[in-house]
Amino acid sequence: MDNDPASGDAATLEEVVFAYERGSDLPPADSFADDADYDPDERGGPVLRGIDLGVPAGSFTVMMGASGGGKSTLLRTFNSIIPSFLTGSFDGNVDVLGRDATDARVPEMAEVVGMVLQDYEAQLFGTSVTSEVAFGPENLAVPPADIDPRIDHALEVVGLGDLDRRRPPEALSGGQKQRLVFAGVVANHPELLVLDEPTSDLDPAGSHDTLEVIRSLADSDEASAPEDWRGPETIVMVTHDIEEALLADHAVLLRAGQVYRQGPAREVFTDVEALRNARVAVPPVVDVFDRIGWSREELPLTPAEAVTAVEDSDLAWTPPAHRGETLPGTPAGTGENPGDPLFELDGIVYEYETDRESVRAVDDVDLTVREGEVVAIVGHNGSGKTTLAKQLNGLLEPDAGSARWRGQDVSELSMGEVGRSVGYVFQNPDHQIFADTIREEVSFGPENFGMEGDALERAVSEAVETVELDGLEEADPFNLSKGQRQRVALASILATDPDVIVFDEPTTGLDATQRDQFMDLVARLNREEGLTVVMVTHSMRTVARYAPRTVVMADGRKVADRPTRELFADESALEQWELQQPQPVDLSNRLAGVSGQEDALPALSVAEVVQGLGGSDASSVNAEAGGEEAGVRNDPDYGGGGRTDGGSDTGQTSGGENE
Amino acid sequence: MSSSPSLYVDRDTFLHRLNARSKLALLVGVFVTVYVFGDPLWVFVPLAATFATLLLVGGWANFKRLSFIVAALFLVGFAVWPAFAESGGPVLLETPLGTLTERELLFALGRSERIAAFIVGGLLFVTTTSNEEIVAGMRSLGFPYAFCFAVGTALRLFPTFLGSANTVRQAQAARGHEVGGGNPVETLRSYIPLLIPVFMTAIRNVQTQAMALEARGFDTRGDRTFYDRQPFGPTDWAVAAFGLALVVGSIYLRLQGYGTV
Repeated sequence: MDNDPASGDAATLEEVVFAYERGSDLPPADSFADDADYDPDERGGPVLRGIDLGVPAGSFTVMMGASGGGKSTLLRTFNSIIPSFLTGSFDGNVDVLGRDATDARVPEMAEVVGMVLQDYEAQLFGTSVTSEVAFGPENLAVPPADIDPRIDHALEVVGLGDLDRRRPPEALSGGQKQRLVFAGVVANHPELLVLDEPTSDLDPAGSHDTLEVIRSLADSDEASAPEDWRGPETIVMVTHDIEEALLADHAVLLRAGQVYRQGPAREVFTDVEALRNARVAVPPVVDVFDRIGWSREELPLTPAEAVTAVEDSDLAWTPPAHRGETLPGTPAGTGENPGDPLFELDGIVYEYETDRESVRAVDDVDLTVREGEVVAIVGHNGSGKTTLAKQLNGLLEPDAGSARWRGQDVSELSMGEVGRSVGYVFQNPDHQIFADTIREEVSFGPENFGMEGDALERAVSEAVETVELDGLEEADPFNLSKGQRQRVALASILATDPDVIVFDEPTTGLDATQRDQFMDLVARLNREEGLTVVMVTHSMRTVARYAPRTVVMADGRKVADRPTRELFADESALEQWELQQPQPVDLSNRLAGVSGQEDALPALSVAEVVQGLGGSDASSVNAEAGGEEAGVRNDPDYGGGGRTDGGSDTGQTSGGENE
Repeated sequence: MSSSPSLYVDRDTFLHRLNARSKLALLVGVFVTVYVFGDPLWVFVPLAATFATLLLVGGWANFKRLSFIVAALFLVGFAVWPAFAESGGPVLLETPLGTLTERELLFALGRSERIAAFIVGGLLFVTTTSNEEIVAGMRSLGFPYAFCFAVGTALRLFPTFLGSANTVRQAQAARGHEVGGGNPVETLRSYIPLLIPVFMTAIRNVQTQAMALEARGFDTRGDRTFYDRQPFGPTDWAVAAFGLALVVGSIYLRLQGYGTV
């Protein structure tokens, strides 16, 4: 996909102001100030606050910003969902492919604009692969004879050409479902494709496959395409994942409901200050070299670019450790000095029935978790991670084997007995929140476990304070942001004073700042309170930074249980299990490879890479454990390496970890 | 949202291959048969035939999912219906609260079987008919497309709704919540922590689904095409005729006095 400015803009937004409340008295677009202290979590009133934006025709544009900052809202103006479907209060002009999107109905815009949302389950309407892909063309009244080639081509484009077309969508994996959603949208032959966090609900393999689809759509002009269509001219994607964002050629940063920066992707993603101001994660590789003190023009974007840059400089790679040496702790300082066993799972088997067969979700798994540990459980969707985790507090009873908690069989304990000691935070906080106030919601668990009076009040206050929601006790949890609701869910478990918390996908849907705040809070509870943590997650950067030990599940079996640093050194195993390396791991493995250090163990964080390149001393790494900002000056005495072709001499300070 | 299997079971059976309209005709035939007769033996025949067919087409898992409801309705009906029946025949049971005559027993058994037959028949239909076929079938019978699509979507979302409810139940159980209580008011109150998240999640999902639908071009106002039009072949005509024969035959026999208690 060429980004040709001469071809004009595919979409133009002028002075767009939007609030979800109907009948709001909207201020003029030019009356909104760029508020540096603006917090989307606290915001009321307009979500879009005077948007002026041009999306270059033919570009792959990525939009980023804080959660609640208006990205998804903005995306919904491209196909008239706002203001035609979600009416609210709207002002401004939106021109999309020559159509006035403020005066069109959504089904009319569907002829030229395709949209893919995060929740793939909510976008599947058919009972077979074929009917799913045919649904859009049927809606557009495409003659049945012309739908056949569209189905063939759309499935081919998304890599599902070989799929049994009679299969029901619910029988597919998460990645396949999202690709099927793409196929359904592609079959409508849109000129503009808008994608709202299309990978955030997917496992690493599903994300990888979906990104391949996006890549192929961005480049599609293949011979097999129908004569009347060569793929979407323009793609606009909202994402929180900075590594995904690097696929784009044009980037837009939103802050406070306004366009804060826009331009060529390389220009935007090397502007560290702008990224931090917009609460967007700095690309880890950029962060590394920015901390070392390289100038903005010199900053590499990807691990491959970084390796070349290092080879061309006077920097040398020193890994944090080698095989056989004592392993350094996690960047967050978690899980040190584990104590006695808390959980002992022995030969756990769990099966469930489908309409065709019995499926063994967990197959003969042994697992011991010790006091004070932080253990990550990773694997594909359907690998048995969550099913295994639910054995820990008796939510599911095994068909064979035993689960023991402090030596006692979990099946002999009541839910009340084990539930108080073992808290379980579900992936979606909306699956538990029901009360009118945060106080009532957080009190629910401890009350059920018999706590009352002053003890209850103290437990609730401490829990709310721990998750930094104090002052909001009487707020309605349904009005909070996703990050805040996630913290309410955590507080409601903390208030029961558990010894262990099991997290199911703790960071899904959170932006970079929310994710780091949430996980730093969990890390602090582990370091300071000795809280044992088991987390089921797809986020390999969370695993690298917070979990010293990782269990890998595949097809219901435990295929690995190793120190995380050793696991990330085994690139062939990671490839076999389709687990992606976070950028700092990838970069340090590459650097070890080119410098012939076969027995090197990888860095797990930006700070460790900086240190390995001689850009920092240990204090920078230690600062991470406290969640504090780590600063690195470009000072030769401090170890900052300059490029042989002329490094920057600009002093730099940088924020906390951004991965 | 967790993945939940739909009620449709993808198999290549005689019933699966039929047009949705002929299946509807057959279903109407079965429903009329179980409705007009009251004798449990006469109701049992179509009930047993429907249940056996459900097993043959791979619907056992679907039946298991609803077996609690079927059993509950059957037993509650069996306990309640005698109160609405005219007593007659020998007394089978005598208690301080009242008596149970043979006629009351047969009446209650017939009515409970009727309810079970309705559920099993409906289950057989959705087990062998995909949403698209249901929608297309209803539409060809003259129902408005928007209504047909709403029915199809409701059928598809029902299992998803159950999956979501199960997750909520687990989330609240993990916080020590137990459903039930000392009196009916407490029992009802204990459902609040389950119902609110279920409905809030459903409402959020419905809005996303509605947005996704329109973004795919779904429009109740404009024209649309149907890609997979099922032919209505000779077998369908034969099955529809059989359904009609069931209707006519059962009404005729009932008018002749057969199948009553």
